Amino acid sequence: MEVSGWFLLVTSWALILGLFLFCLYRIILKKEIK
Amino acid sequence: MIKKRDSWGSRLGIIMAVAGSAIGLGNFLRFPAKAAANGGGAFMIPYFVSFLLLGIPLMWVEWTLGRYGGGYEHGTAPGIFHSLWRKNRFIKYFGVIGIFGPLVIFIYYIYIESWTLAYSFFAISGKYSGFSDLAGMKGFLLGFQGLEKNQYFNGLQTAYLFFLVTFLLNIVVIYYGIKGGIEKLCKFAMPLLFIFALILMFRVFTLGAPDTLKPDWNVLNGFGFLWNADFSALKSAKIWLEAAGQIFFTLSVGIGVILTYASYLSKGDDIVLSGLTAASTNSFAEVILGASIIIPAAFVFFGPVDMQSIANSGIFNLGFVTMPLVLNKLPLSEFMGFCWFFLLFLAGITSSVSLAQPAVAFLEDEFNITRKKAAATFGLIAFFLCQPVIFFLGRGVLNELDFWGGTFFLVVFATIEVILFAWVFGMERAWDEIHKGADMRVPKIYKFIIKYVTPLFLFLILGMWLKQEWLPIILMKEVASADRPFVFGTRLGLLFIFLILAILVKIAWRRRGNLGKGLNGS
Repeated sequence: MEVSGWFLLVTSWALILGLFLFCLYRIILKKEIK
Repeated sequence: MIKKRDSWGSRLGIIMAVAGSAIGLGNFLRFPAKAAANGGGAFMIPYFVSFLLLGIPLMWVEWTLGRYGGGYEHGTAPGIFHSLWRKNRFIKYFGVIGIFGPLVIFIYYIYIESWTLAYSFFAISGKYSGFSDLAGMKGFLLGFQGLEKNQYFNGLQTAYLFFLVTFLLNIVVIYYGIKGGIEKLCKFAMPLLFIFALILMFRVFTLGAPDTLKPDWNVLNGFGFLWNADFSALKSAKIWLEAAGQIFFTLSVGIGVILTYASYLSKGDDIVLSGLTAASTNSFAEVILGASIIIPAAFVFFGPVDMQSIANSGIFNLGFVTMPLVLNKLPLSEFMGFCWFFLLFLAGITSSVSLAQPAVAFLEDEFNITRKKAAATFGLIAFFLCQPVIFFLGRGVLNELDFWGGTFFLVVFATIEVILFAWVFGMERAWDEIHKGADMRVPKIYKFIIKYVTPLFLFLILGMWLKQEWLPIILMKEVASADRPFVFGTRLGLLFIFLILAILVKIAWRRRGNLGKGLNGS
């Protein structure tokens, strides 16, 4: 795999995992709706 | 008597259901194929731009419109649009697209979903375990689909049996309602889907270079095939349109499904964080799991030369021909094959029940009939509508339904939604509505994006389509002459369905008007 491939894979994974974990973290902080 | 509307049992329930609706066959088949064919890793640049400027704003718009309409006892676009713009008598008819689109997608999607159930069974029972070449596996698929009679299948009987089972499963889930059916299904199916995807991803990561004579055919180069960037591709408008199209498909925006799901929320329920969580769960399933299975695995066994044609061979070939062959070459091939196809089945059923929901909610909300009767009515009509897809599969019917229901009207519907939301309802009111009960604030820049950037982006997509493709599609230039009567018949059928839905909207509003007069008079 070339450097560009590594760069885009790691950046994309980091952005999506970051957003996903941020959402989970915020949800865990809040109570359920009902 | 006005009956009480159904509701979600928990926040986790609606997040799982919306994520389940979004995570479909496209996450595991369409995305990796599109990325590989459109600049590899460079595809992620327009993908993320579309995600931020198109997907996320439209997702928030749909969640907000849905919850707003639910407050007026409307779960589908005709009623929701009418609630937004009461002075306009015609706006409810534009909302017909929000029932028509998911219904049309449902009638072909469920048949493809039934193939995944059938192949799960074939995998675990070893029915295709003897195949080692593309021609054999392709023959097996064509025989199963009834497109040719061969030594594997003598007709459509097996495919039809699995269609019946899949169809019945869907109707049963819908019959039990939002909390008792869809939420329960998604709470069970989504974790299982992730487990299967992680098993397959782990197996792909540990493939190494199975053929010692071809050390370059290794898993790292497989990932390289997908992720190495061709930045020159970014100069082409095509890659930007493909990425925008993928965002539409993957997030299930512009269909009408999120409107309906969100209509079962209460006024004070958060939509900002829940919507973002569902969208990020979908992207996780697509970019991290979906992109790590089929393309790298196929590269390891077929090499860089054959991979070009495999990646461009269409999603059915990728999923039902290439992937079973790859898994056949691994230890525990029956179990791995089952994991792959059952993963696709779970992704499919959580999407198909969501596609059925707008039509069922329309019957329930606007005609005040019970869910059970609505589900049974929908089942009967949808069953009848599915038949042409099954019996005329090789005649272009499926492609035609996919183009109108699953592509063109998505963009049209999203454009109507965002204009109604930002320009008719008004951005200030819309902003307040988004934040009712919100667990986090939407970044202020999105006020500008939703009002100007997203509509412009959508007009650009529609404009490009009109410029490049509309004439050949309307004139059926790429359809074989023998198939043209079938494609034309499909178009007439679609027009008929649309007109029937528009008439039903007219009848529903007339009944509602008469009911209102009756109540006022009494």
